[in-house]
Amino acid sequence: MSADLIPTLPAALTAEQAGAMAQRLVKKHHVAIVLLHWFNALVWLMELATGAALIVSPQYRFMPQWYLTMLEEAFGTRANLLRFHLAVGLTWICVFAVYAIFGFRNYLHLEVLKKEIGLDQEDFRWLKIRTLHLLGRSQDPLPGQGAYNAGQKLFAFLVYTAVPVIMITGLIMTFHLLGASLVAWAMVLHFLAVGMVVSGLMIHVYMGAVFPEERPAFYSMITGMVNELYAYRHHFKWWRELKMQQRAWEQQLESESHAEEDASRNDTLASAPDSPRPGSDELEVAKGTP
Amino acid sequence: MARYAMVIDKQRCVGCQSCTVACKSEWDVPNGFARTRVKRTAIVGEFPDLHSTFYVAQCNHCDRPSCVPACPTGATFQEKNGIVKVNRELCIGCGACVAACPYGARYVSPATHTVDKCDFCSSRLEQGFEPACVNTCPASAKIFGDLEDVAGPLFDLVYRSGARRLESRDVAIGPNVFYLGKSDEMALQAASFPPQPPRTIAPGKVWSMVLNKFVYLAVGATFLGQAVAFFRQLAVGEKQFDE
Repeated sequence: MSADLIPTLPAALTAEQAGAMAQRLVKKHHVAIVLLHWFNALVWLMELATGAALIVSPQYRFMPQWYLTMLEEAFGTRANLLRFHLAVGLTWICVFAVYAIFGFRNYLHLEVLKKEIGLDQEDFRWLKIRTLHLLGRSQDPLPGQGAYNAGQKLFAFLVYTAVPVIMITGLIMTFHLLGASLVAWAMVLHFLAVGMVVSGLMIHVYMGAVFPEERPAFYSMITGMVNELYAYRHHFKWWRELKMQQRAWEQQLESESHAEEDASRNDTLASAPDSPRPGSDELEVAKGTP
Repeated sequence: MARYAMVIDKQRCVGCQSCTVACKSEWDVPNGFARTRVKRTAIVGEFPDLHSTFYVAQCNHCDRPSCVPACPTGATFQEKNGIVKVNRELCIGCGACVAACPYGARYVSPATHTVDKCDFCSSRLEQGFEPACVNTCPASAKIFGDLEDVAGPLFDLVYRSGARRLESRDVAIGPNVFYLGKSDEMALQAASFPPQPPRTIAPGKVWSMVLNKFVYLAVGATFLGQAVAFFRQLAVGEKQFDE
């Protein structure tokens, strides 16, 4: 099978290969995900800003008095501030409910979730080496990663755990559900879950918007596309998967376009990787790899 | 600025509960709850020398209210005239203030799921009326007024006649409902209904003692982590990546 020629491990690329790959774009995010991401970012900014100003008790509050006063006066009264917080939060929940309904088959599948948040041995090794890289303590090559790297998976795991907690506790507090003691616990869990996500956001925002090596990932959250070289270098397993899909698709096209009597010729083609055919760029990449 | 307070003359109170009823009908207080109610102490002494007295319980609008700092959202607040109020729009009904009140003056209303309590009938005061309970009391045992008004009825009762607060050694937060009575009646009242030390609800304890610190630590650690990486990025300089 020609698929065997797609490398199983990332290898050094020649300048031409890299140049060609940098020109080719592959789709990383659906436009719905891009829109949802920025909607989510906006909601988080507004909810964090207003939510922080809603905790005013000297026993629990963490923002200085001037901030609390500033927000309260900007919104007129603290009741208005709370109303705004609730309105944005409820809108957020509704939008994600729509996403859950329409994206159910594509994104909220157990298989997909496993891919997005399930960490394997290699992922843990990646986390260790990546951290050492950032601190300048290691030059080891990173293990190949899927569409989401181990750091992103960790953050996704955190978010997938915390966001339902935030939504449910928010609803409990908004509508005073289930009695006083549950409302009190909801308040505490709301704070904890938000705190955990904010802790992850520190890394998420830095990696997404500031860290130079991941800049294509930042632009992919605008255009939905990444170049193939970035995919190859940073998400090798995903790149390989894409290649396999492409190869399978090409083969299917070929077998459809050829008459049945050409079946024997097809076999020869497949076993002769040097023969010219569409997608030969990838074959060149494949040749230079172990 | 006024400093509103109330004096309850125990020698006049006969425990008829008129104030309780007036308050309940004025404020649509749900069944099983009250903003003010009259409680009877235990009966003490040897027959035929038996003693008992009535205790009128309500919000004391304390000088240093323990409910105000306990409220996480700031729904409970104190006005400049001393009246402690609950802003229903801000109250989420967590019950933190209910536990913090030494006098049991607060309840979470099953109708609104927010906290309710006596506010000295603020809306009536604004219209120039007295609180409903004061207006109703057939014996005029409840006297409402301004503590700072030297010519008013309260000034005399509190500073000359010796009306006293219901405080204890543990709980002294300056309640502004004063009781006027014989010393043995006052002692019996204090023994039967001692103010309870303010409690913090369990989630509140977990929040202020553990979770706050945990969240600060987690956010601080990741912030520091990205700051280290950022300054390294600045120090090393950005390579031109071929992507």
